[in-house]
Amino acid sequence: MSQFTSVPVPKADAVAIQVMAPNQVKLSGTITQKDPSSDLAGFFKALHNAALADKLGEVRADVSGLTFVNSSAIRLFVDWATWVKNERGQRYTLRFITSRNVTWQKTSFMALMSLAKEVLAIEQVS
Amino acid sequence: MDTNPPQSKRHPAPYPLVFMRFRPAWAYIDGIREFGRFFCQTTFGTQELADRACVVIQETLENAVKYSSNTADSELELSISSDGLSIEFSVSSLPDAQHLASLRQELNGLQTLDPEQAYLAAFIRASNEPEASARLGLARIRYEGGVELSMNEESGGRIRITAKGNL
Repeated sequence: MSQFTSVPVPKADAVAIQVMAPNQVKLSGTITQKDPSSDLAGFFKALHNAALADKLGEVRADVSGLTFVNSSAIRLFVDWATWVKNERGQRYTLRFITSRNVTWQKTSFMALMSLAKEVLAIEQVS
Repeated sequence: MDTNPPQSKRHPAPYPLVFMRFRPAWAYIDGIREFGRFFCQTTFGTQELADRACVVIQETLENAVKYSSNTADSELELSISSDGLSIEFSVSSLPDAQHLASLRQELNGLQTLDPEQAYLAAFIRASNEPEASARLGLARIRYEGGVELSMNEESGGRIRITAKGNL
């Protein structure tokens, strides 16, 4: 049984989250809480650990519907990319599905890519 | 002798467009950011400027709210002004003394790099210091907001962060 799809989805203000088999998580809405890590850091870490346990070759994080986030939320994506980058054993590609129409996604995922290009992929959709 | 420059070469003073004063409460930030988006989209007619305004307003207000001193005179002031060529966002707050020192240091450090380099450097720092606070916000304002930041220390311990960029 897939551990990835069994990760419990947190209830977070203003953001809708779906986990879909075999390897996709989709976030939409906005993330502007004071401390989004309280809702989401543990969730992302659980997805990361489940992806390793399931020996997934790729995780697809669809953020194209996230219309606005604060820098504390961007930090969560930096952390996730860093976990994958620092993984010494088998690791997966973290593919962010982004929207070319959403400004914050263009600037922030470009910066994130330069941080961990060996484990990240960015796919743009309209 | 007239020492004033010809009218066409004068740089007009920024014209105040928006002024708000409110308690430093997190609950207000989303609403004020979305008002800023609407205002810039409606006034200047560009989605790009509206998006930049959102980043500037969100991150400057977050900093101001997080680090405001807990006193009766700690109300925040947000103003938006324009001279027709540039736009200026200004947030006045009364921060605690510890934050003021780190803000000075952070702003000085940012000015040594161009906005893109500074944003990348902030990502690298966040990646290398997973337990530390993110400190991405100011670098994000400069890069994504397309503005330069400055800080004025005013009487009574208040500070004014100004973000100025092209329209």
